[in-house]
Amino acid sequence: MAVYEHDVLVIGAGLAGMRAALAAQQLGADVGMVSKVHPVRSHSNAAQGGINGPGLGEDGGPWEEHAFETTKASDYLGDQDAIEILAKEGGREVLQAEHWGVVFSRKPDGRMAVRRFGGMGKARTFFVGAITGQAILHVLYEQLLKPSVYQAMRTYEEWFVTSLIVDDGQCRGCVAMNIRTGELHAITAKATIICTGGLGRVYEPSTNALICTGDGIAMAYRAGAPIMDMEMVQIHPTTLKGSGVLITEGARGEGAYLLNKDGERFMSKYAPNLMELASRDVVSRAEQTEIDEGRGVDGCVFLDMRHLGEQLIKERLEEIYEIARDLVNIDITKELLPIQPGVHYIMGGIKTDVDGLSPMPGLYAAGEAACVSVHGANRVGANSLLDTLVFGRRAAEHAVPWLQGKKFRPIPESVVEKDRKMIAEIVDRPANGDRVAKIRRDMGLSMSENVGLFRSPDKLEKQKAILKELRARYEKVGVEDKGKVFNTDLLFHIELGFMLDCADMIVTSAIERKESRGAHTRLDYPNRDDEHWLKHIALQRQPDGTEKMFYIPVTITQFQPMERKY
Amino acid sequence: MKVKLKVKRTDPGTGETSYSRYQIDTVESTTLLDALIQVREYEDGTLALRCSCRSAICGSCAMRVDGRARLACRAKVIAITRGNQEHEITVEPMGNMPVIKDLVTDMELFWSKIRQVKPYLQPEGPEPEGEYRVPNEAMLDLTHTMNCIMCGACVSDCTVLEVDKNFIAPAALAKAYRFVGDPRDAHQVERLRQYSEYGGIWDCTRCNMCVEVCPKGVAPMNRILQLREMAIEAGITNNAGSRHTKIFTKSIEDGGRLNEVWMLPGSVGMFNVPRLVKEAPGALKMLRAGKLPLSQMIPPGAPGSHKISGMDRVKNVIRKSAALKPKKAEVVSDGA
Amino acid sequence: MALKYAFWPGCVSKGAAPELYVSTNRVAQALGIELVELDTATCTGAGVIQEQNPEMGDALNARTFAMAQQLGLPLMNICSTCQGIESMVQDKLAKHPDYLAKVNDILADEGLHYTPDLEIKNFLWVLVEDFGLDRLKSMVTRPLTGLKLGPFYGCYILRPSEILGMDEHPDRNKYLEMVIEAVGAEPVDYEGKKKCCGFPLLTINRDNSLKQAGNHIHEAQDLGADALVSPCPLCHLNLDAQQPAAKQVTHYNIDLPILHLPQMIGLAIGIEPKDMRLDHHVVSTKKLLSKLPAPAATASR
Repeated sequence: MAVYEHDVLVIGAGLAGMRAALAAQQLGADVGMVSKVHPVRSHSNAAQGGINGPGLGEDGGPWEEHAFETTKASDYLGDQDAIEILAKEGGREVLQAEHWGVVFSRKPDGRMAVRRFGGMGKARTFFVGAITGQAILHVLYEQLLKPSVYQAMRTYEEWFVTSLIVDDGQCRGCVAMNIRTGELHAITAKATIICTGGLGRVYEPSTNALICTGDGIAMAYRAGAPIMDMEMVQIHPTTLKGSGVLITEGARGEGAYLLNKDGERFMSKYAPNLMELASRDVVSRAEQTEIDEGRGVDGCVFLDMRHLGEQLIKERLEEIYEIARDLVNIDITKELLPIQPGVHYIMGGIKTDVDGLSPMPGLYAAGEAACVSVHGANRVGANSLLDTLVFGRRAAEHAVPWLQGKKFRPIPESVVEKDRKMIAEIVDRPANGDRVAKIRRDMGLSMSENVGLFRSPDKLEKQKAILKELRARYEKVGVEDKGKVFNTDLLFHIELGFMLDCADMIVTSAIERKESRGAHTRLDYPNRDDEHWLKHIALQRQPDGTEKMFYIPVTITQFQPMERKY
Repeated sequence: MKVKLKVKRTDPGTGETSYSRYQIDTVESTTLLDALIQVREYEDGTLALRCSCRSAICGSCAMRVDGRARLACRAKVIAITRGNQEHEITVEPMGNMPVIKDLVTDMELFWSKIRQVKPYLQPEGPEPEGEYRVPNEAMLDLTHTMNCIMCGACVSDCTVLEVDKNFIAPAALAKAYRFVGDPRDAHQVERLRQYSEYGGIWDCTRCNMCVEVCPKGVAPMNRILQLREMAIEAGITNNAGSRHTKIFTKSIEDGGRLNEVWMLPGSVGMFNVPRLVKEAPGALKMLRAGKLPLSQMIPPGAPGSHKISGMDRVKNVIRKSAALKPKKAEVVSDGA
Repeated sequence: MALKYAFWPGCVSKGAAPELYVSTNRVAQALGIELVELDTATCTGAGVIQEQNPEMGDALNARTFAMAQQLGLPLMNICSTCQGIESMVQDKLAKHPDYLAKVNDILADEGLHYTPDLEIKNFLWVLVEDFGLDRLKSMVTRPLTGLKLGPFYGCYILRPSEILGMDEHPDRNKYLEMVIEAVGAEPVDYEGKKKCCGFPLLTINRDNSLKQAGNHIHEAQDLGADALVSPCPLCHLNLDAQQPAAKQVTHYNIDLPILHLPQMIGLAIGIEPKDMRLDHHVVSTKKLLSKLPAPAATASR
């Protein structure tokens, strides 16, 4: 029988994962948490600008306002019951984080300070300089180090999950490789919460870390869970050219301007009210239009922070100052910073309800890997951190009572055989001149080219064909490292497989949605079409291996869809 | 631009080490991490290293570059080689830790030290309804310490850790400061007491190596020094370290110069016979070599002790410098 | 070009390392460097005062700086630790003008005032940057050919590099090797040369302190060094005076003489070893001196 058994298994140890693990442990469950990197290496640490606290600060307005602005930003594709929960429960999560020790910046009266963020008329984004994600991630990790928690929980650090275990239609944990030994094991559980984050590396360049390869989304898909809204890929307005490294929206929140090559604040043409703080998709499209129409320089426009003053920058945007100085030799207190739109976030993911439960019993998801959907067709900045905490907790709070008193069949260790064979086959493949890195790069560059900000049917179809070709190459390419210990060559190979699955889903959904909504812009269908397309597109692998596409209606409670202007 | 690398390999099975040499062509703005990734992806897929974010926030890619620990993603090749394309960059795994494979080390030592300092906020009393109200300066100060991405560079190059694995080491002590310096934590004195024990703040040799190698400006040694100041202020002085500081300071306050002779008994304790006996042979050797200054035989503070001239002016400066101390940050008030 | 400096000798050269004081003065005289000793200046604090009372350290150091400025001279020290602390205080005062103003209020009582534009250099930097290696080479009458010398910098003259002028003088972390070569000897490359001698820990954790010293001495000796040379008298104390104790703690068979930087220079420009108190070390320099090539006929100081 399987050696490792838990009540709740959390896959991924970023903000959502650790929040879920903490909540589950506090409810008395036996928790296991798997992560392919050490928890503090998770990509949550790259979130810079802040976390929204609806209804918290005095000037941010009531939580209902945040619910509305989130719904509007989602271009009305967000499910409003979920958005209401996010807005209602979000403030409490931010306070909890502060009580746990997050060093939020303060106002002179000692209360937490706020800054403006995109898509919102009032300031309700709480922050720690420009390292908010890292600050919260580290504090969550600290909470897990409390002896009562640390001794009760088991963390599988640097274990790589290769597939989910599905028994009798129920998710029963996962098969994972201990990266340090190369051995595969079954880690079984009664409830599994997937918190594996996004898939930015499907594109090249992107703001995402190298580990963001859509593992959980692909595995859930392969296991038969429905995946939703995959065409909704957020393209962040301010990333560095070449590397794609993120420059926080918080800079604009503190007052930075966007300028074209003529020194104009061009956002006045596209979003005269909110200007640089319009919704991200609006800003990215504006920038790209400026660039395409010849008013950019070298594929970039400029972020101007000179007028913010050295003190503010050092106090609130220090991280950005250092990134600009160290990566591109620019002093933002004195010079303009060239930036361009870059892939940043996937609004889509594993379909869940407001408790993080997917239609497959025993399978939960939270954070970027999930699609509840709170972000719809476009995410508001600083809502992702909120999403991870609120729904990470909720998933645990639903899973733990649910699994009480139920019977669960034990899972045999032999369940790892399938993956063991797959890995052996990959390792045994002879060199054939191709390399995983080449295929990955070809995928990334072509996705950026053909499935980017402005999409057209011929480019989408072209990408479909490219992906088919890449998959054929993938089935034949081998790895150079044949060892067992820390074989990253092999891990990259498996990750590429996950990414190709995700890329396929993105293209399929993008071809299907014949309208423009939020982050998805079709040149042949430039308008929003609520009559035909106010619905989610879901993809689900069937037992016979084919893919079924179906639609899921959008839950509307308070806010009827309106025209979206900033 | 040509980049030449000499990378240390460790075979995970046998533990045997060797060096692999690579030469690649890449752009001028390349970082060391870019170069290593290029090697891994196109030249040698067996090279193992940890990396993730490429923007110095995840802390994965710390390694020794030309003998000194650095974050590979922040190390520009052209800055390392100073433009000399023939310079072969030596890349090795972090020090003070066992090596798993190539550039991947076992960081359990690092994490266990972090756990040792009770690295979680310990507030006391009822939780406020809203947030704890604390001054922004306190949070800004702690943010500098929170900048720590746990990369391990400081631990890799710590000179004390090389000779004594009991030392809690820079990263954990910097983290310790983060709690002692947090007005919301209610266990400051208890923490200071814990950190003042063997292996803690007084075991740092003050070599600045951690300050030099930290890629995020955390300056762990400076945090350790702050902890020392706070510990002395909190009255935790029953240890050689704070006694050493006291006798040193007294020596300057009394005579303007360091009294080497009285450093030893003043620090280890005037009646610490076993220790004094241990030092006797060394002291005799110094005496024979004419290196024990007789002028310093009288302890600082006693009549006739060695003083520079003009001590009244020195004392004036010392007295008035007390007013230069900044005020301590406190919790302003609890609750909404 | 005549070189003249306000001279801060440090505490140790006037206490437990008189050989340093004596050799510095002899060598400076021979090289034509005029030193005006600040005998009413106080200890820099060595980082120890700074543990309890950084403000006291700032004020006392600013006072020393102001004294040098009153004489209109740059400041020279003969101790890596002094250099590190002085650079740190200089940096802090330059970055916080309000704080500096308050410090100056205190100094005003003695008619002193410090403006942040004083040059503070260790003798090692003076040799390379102000005096010049070529000029030094021209004054060598007894090149130390055949001698292998291990440089030992002392932490505070190397770190943190940002306040030690390494941007402007990137080779400052190589000067000791350069000077060793200039006097005709061969520098030994060993890992410990930039590490810590352990002195600050001597009275706090004796074993760790002596292990550090012992390890570095052993490493250099193993690689064939005839002696170590250091610009820091605190390092000298741990490496020389404590060498017998270090031998006991590490069980290494170490027996390596330790030279102060001016002593090495002095030997090369023909000053008599006795005049530099080379016979007053704890670890005997006899063997080293016997390896020295014969002095040139014209050497007479």
